[in-house]
Amino acid sequence: MKQYWRSIEEYESIQEQGNKGNQDDSLKETPDHHHDEPGDSDLAGSHSRRDFLKMLGFGIGYAGLLSGCEMPVRKAIPYLNQPEEIVPGVANYYATTFYDGHDYCSILVKNREGRPIKIEGNVLSPVTKGGTHARVQASILNLYDMARLKEPMKNSQETTWEAIDGEVIAKLQEISTEGGRAVILTPTVISPSARHLLKEFMLKYPGTEWITYDAISSSAMLQANEMNFKQKAIPDYRFDQADLIVGFNADFLGNWLSPVEYTKQYTKKRSLMDSKTMPRHIQFESYMSLTGSNADYRVPIKPSEESIILLNLYNLIASAKGADTYTVSESPIEIGKLAEELLASEGKSLVVCGTNDLHSQLIVNAINHLLGNYGTTIDLARPLLTQQGSDDEMAALVDDMVQGKVSGLILCQVNPVYDYPAAQRFADGMKQMKLTVSITERLDETARLAHYVCPDSNYLESWNDFEVKKGCYSMGQPVINKVFNTRQAQDSLLRWMEDQATYNDYIENYWEKNIYPGQSKFDGFRGFRNEVLHDGIYVDTSSAGAQPSFSSVELQAGIEPEGEGFELVLYEKISIGDGKYANNPWLQELPDPVTMATWDNYVCIPPGYAKENRLKLEDVVLINGDVELPVLVQPGQPEGTIAIAVGYGRSNAGKVANGLGKNVYPLAVIADGHRKFSGRKVTMERVSGKRYPLALTQSHHTMEQRALAREATLMEYLEAPDAGNEMHMGIVEENLTLYEIPQYEGSHWGLAINLNACIGCGNCVISCQAENNVAVIGKEQVRNRRIMHWIRIDRYYSDEADNPEVIRMPVMCQHCDNAPCENVCPVAATPHSSEGLNQMAYNRCIGTRYCVNNCPYKVRRFNWFEYAGNEKFDYNLNNDYGKLVLNPDVTVRSRGVVEKCSFCVQRIQAAKLNAKMENRGIIDGELKTACQQSCPGDAIVFGDMNDPNSEIKKILDNPRTYQLLEQLHTLPSVNYMTKIWNKDKEDKKVNYRRTRYVPHSVKHGKKHS
Amino acid sequence: MHRYLRRIYHKILPSFLLTTLFIGNGIIAGNAYSQTTDPKQLFQVCAACHHIGKGKLIGPDLYGVTERHDRDWLMRFIRNSQEVIESGDEYAVKLFEEYNKIPMPPVDYTDEQINILIDYIANFVPYKPEAVAAAPAVAETEAADDFFAETKSTRRNYGTTFIISLILLLAAAFDMLVTRLIKARFVNFIVMLISAFIMIEITVVEAQNLGRQKDYEPDQPILFSHKIHAGENKIDCKYCHTSVTESKHAGIPPVSLCMNCHNVVREGRHTGRTEIDKIYQAMESGRPIQWVRVHNLPDHSFFNHAQHVTVGKMECESCHGDVNSMHRIRQVHDLSMGWCIECHRNTEVQFLDNNYYEKFRKFHEELKAGTRTRVTVDDVGGTECSKCHY
Repeated sequence: MKQYWRSIEEYESIQEQGNKGNQDDSLKETPDHHHDEPGDSDLAGSHSRRDFLKMLGFGIGYAGLLSGCEMPVRKAIPYLNQPEEIVPGVANYYATTFYDGHDYCSILVKNREGRPIKIEGNVLSPVTKGGTHARVQASILNLYDMARLKEPMKNSQETTWEAIDGEVIAKLQEISTEGGRAVILTPTVISPSARHLLKEFMLKYPGTEWITYDAISSSAMLQANEMNFKQKAIPDYRFDQADLIVGFNADFLGNWLSPVEYTKQYTKKRSLMDSKTMPRHIQFESYMSLTGSNADYRVPIKPSEESIILLNLYNLIASAKGADTYTVSESPIEIGKLAEELLASEGKSLVVCGTNDLHSQLIVNAINHLLGNYGTTIDLARPLLTQQGSDDEMAALVDDMVQGKVSGLILCQVNPVYDYPAAQRFADGMKQMKLTVSITERLDETARLAHYVCPDSNYLESWNDFEVKKGCYSMGQPVINKVFNTRQAQDSLLRWMEDQATYNDYIENYWEKNIYPGQSKFDGFRGFRNEVLHDGIYVDTSSAGAQPSFSSVELQAGIEPEGEGFELVLYEKISIGDGKYANNPWLQELPDPVTMATWDNYVCIPPGYAKENRLKLEDVVLINGDVELPVLVQPGQPEGTIAIAVGYGRSNAGKVANGLGKNVYPLAVIADGHRKFSGRKVTMERVSGKRYPLALTQSHHTMEQRALAREATLMEYLEAPDAGNEMHMGIVEENLTLYEIPQYEGSHWGLAINLNACIGCGNCVISCQAENNVAVIGKEQVRNRRIMHWIRIDRYYSDEADNPEVIRMPVMCQHCDNAPCENVCPVAATPHSSEGLNQMAYNRCIGTRYCVNNCPYKVRRFNWFEYAGNEKFDYNLNNDYGKLVLNPDVTVRSRGVVEKCSFCVQRIQAAKLNAKMENRGIIDGELKTACQQSCPGDAIVFGDMNDPNSEIKKILDNPRTYQLLEQLHTLPSVNYMTKIWNKDKEDKKVNYRRTRYVPHSVKHGKKHS
Repeated sequence: MHRYLRRIYHKILPSFLLTTLFIGNGIIAGNAYSQTTDPKQLFQVCAACHHIGKGKLIGPDLYGVTERHDRDWLMRFIRNSQEVIESGDEYAVKLFEEYNKIPMPPVDYTDEQINILIDYIANFVPYKPEAVAAAPAVAETEAADDFFAETKSTRRNYGTTFIISLILLLAAAFDMLVTRLIKARFVNFIVMLISAFIMIEITVVEAQNLGRQKDYEPDQPILFSHKIHAGENKIDCKYCHTSVTESKHAGIPPVSLCMNCHNVVREGRHTGRTEIDKIYQAMESGRPIQWVRVHNLPDHSFFNHAQHVTVGKMECESCHGDVNSMHRIRQVHDLSMGWCIECHRNTEVQFLDNNYYEKFRKFHEELKAGTRTRVTVDDVGGTECSKCHY
């Protein structure tokens, strides 16, 4: 079988030892946690274990005498007036919508006794279809962030809303009467009411201007579409309509535009559950992204090569179709086969590019046009509205600010002093102004410089409406009263317009006038509004525009960057994104699906360069003589490039985020009117002798050389459905036993994961963390390999280091029917249930960790410390607000006990009770585990394996299904389905091979017919 | 000694057997009253405001009401009293005025259920109240005394016994080895053995009772009497503990629910206005009443009321004891895990009545074949860890 490797160190060790060596040699970097402990006594009280035994000896003897001890008096405090919809102990779910200028998602919020504790996807929404993103899942914790502003502030002093309102209105009037210019800077606003409000605001204060600024912008794409279609918009991509997907640096499964929606579409076609076909996905990219690691063929390219390859590809297609071609230097990658395939699937292919570069975007548009993809896989009739910022407007604003042409600035939920490349100029500009107001959730880098800081409400405390695509409307409602003395931005604007209406009324008015008349289903506005909220999306069928006609423009390849050194790629991590939520400890501790790193950013360097220069993980390098960062050797990182994640290096986000990593936004450049996050040349020098520890989870879990993640190609699968899984039946037959095979009366719970639908995005990890009160333990303890996540996503590389293949599998407790952990527990704390669950009784566990050692899957987690209410672990469980997110139906574990995935037994119990109360059996599909509910890939299925009609039973009978380490005869209840790749028999080394490294000097294409 | 002691004894040195701590209890089956035709249950809703033959409560005494009005009028009035009043019915308006304009809330009973109810009221033979009606003053003092009385019962402290035993043991040992006053050594031995036995016994029982609160009967911020409300006035438990049928919590009634009745009942028989005024104070100040929780389970135990009351059809009394006779609520069982398990082993589930259990095919076959007589909670996995601990 294939040789898998988990890290570049292991890969090299395999290479050196001629594939014979023990893989474990590579794991010698195991941190020795017996030396660098923070000290037992520091972390949990002042008693050592020996003291405890001494005390115990006395304690038992004196127990009879210690009769003066009292139980704490516990209070039961009922409501004064119990709200009608609240039944203590029963959760309510409220539908609302998440949008933060970057990600959009229809969600349900689970409320217990008035406090939101969990986010679920809204399955009714046609856009996100019940999926969520890890950042959306974790956003519930932002609500309880202690770093949020609690009071309005003026010049760093707390003040009142009345004082602020009076002064802001006076200054706005002053600026307006003087004929001065005031600017409202916002991220993309997709709320129709808020857009209307902003327009009214500009009328109220003439001279006011509204500029949109997106931290991660799609401005080049907007401009390209304006040039080609006279429509400054982002089209609606339909990945579910495509048979061939070609991505150029577009991380559409992770961060690009609408990842949850795209993941749903992508995995639906690729899951191989209902059909025997799957689209092919080819990804050209300059860093190892989540999307690239899921592609059938991944081609590492330099950023500067992108437009050259694209234009060559265009030429090949154009010459086949008889259209104009352009002169361009030869493609560094063999793309003949790709052009053939694209031509073969005209109208059923999709080429996307995520680079903020006009040249590339124009070529991609031209290719899609030639292939007839507009109207099939690309829809401009209902453009996506979530990204609308134009970089040149922002650049002009900064110039004007520095020149003193702007006298007032209202910053709404933006933080350009942190995330704008020319941040220093922006900050300088702010200092000259008469009025600077920041409406923000926290006292961030920009708000710190503003005269007035107005605390903004969290989206879970606000009324909202959104138009995510043209004519597709959503609503948002508050699910909790305001936690602090905050006011949502729109309400602040209304007050400053001297309008006393609430924003809720404003939305209602707007909808009643503008959107409600467009429908005929409802007679009353209230009913209409409730349905829009409930269903997540209302589609105004009359509003779809026509597909605009294509007008071609001159194409040319981009300009090759000047200077020496590496081409730099700045990218977003799945967890931290653009850095807005850096203070969220759940996100900080979510291992990156590619690098498996937590808590930091780092420089991803290509393995070839690392080997030549003897650079290793955790060596420190200096980028451009300015930014010092540790090195992570990233397989698949193209030669001549380095990649660094943005979103780190916050100085004013809160105590979790401050000082973590480095801010690399200043390394972005503004060229051709667009902010370029990739392609700039930078120098990299080693800082000799310096090392910086990184907390990686990647080589925690050795799985030796066994067929764990099984895979096959589509061709093999079509020939034999058990391809890659041939050993399964053999193992089942070999697993003869003298003992009785366990039988289950009633239910037998089982879970299945379709490796073809799992993209490894990490949403399940956060969802599980929120549901099951999983503790955050901090970088040092992650480094000590004590991460507490109940579900982890293993990532294995195979093939060569320059361009590896990646396969992932989520692993949680396998709930073995023959569980090795159960029979080694000396106190029977982990017995088996009659429903096939491997139970864990925390109150019985004495912490011997025998079970941890005996578990072949390494899924059991030990509480080395008291993580809740311990100031050494100063995360959400160490303050009263953060604790509000805890699920009251799950025990908070204390020090010294083992924990692990329970199959969400609290949900099982609740579903059973519901069924019993309704005098019926459990319906297949009504009971969903936390990881399953919001999975954007629908990769997880949970159900009763005893039910002959259940989905899980069907999967059990599928020839793709196998169990992890099934040869051990542990009889796991978790099943996996083989990963099928849509690859040809010929290798990628032939079809997409690199023909040369350095592009020729021809840079500007010339038109010739 | 303080009353909130966690450890309390009932008998002098019981046997070593743990099981004596577990008190088995019989389960009486009852019905949820949405579809019930049991007149007593139907009347429970009415009983919150009406007596039959015991005088006025919030509403008029219903004794003889069937003679005052015809059945049709009663039907209309029970179904929706406001409609009758608004229709201008003279008697109804008079009643409404007389009883401080408190509307009688409509009930969603079927015609059949209302007929059964009227029959019940018509045929009700009121027992002659003696002490309460005849000599209220005396009863009041008695009851009040009872209310404030310290519950002494069987509580004892074995600290002294433990120390005496220890001294005896040491003295016997000392005598045996040093002073040798008692010639017959077996006496020393016996004394030492008995002392050690007593000390071990005390230690074991104490250790078992750590964290348990049997007989816990704390003072509450309001001298609220369950005996008066649930016992004498026969208000159904579910009238106040509304969520018991649908939630894990039975629910402590919000102050607004107290006001349903105490809007009118401004004065208590025993405590006058002082205690009831506290409800008004809470309402006016906006500060909810901070009751002291009597039945506490550890955080890692998840007990669900709905499971036991709605699905298991258990009576509240099985776990909470005879609340009807308690002024102040007392925890009557130790709520230990052994006590829970004991009941789960002996209690039958509603196996044939609830379709949920259809999937237990083997049990159904066995029941049919006669090889099994019953299905207990234990049989369907009710004693497994993760049924209560997760």
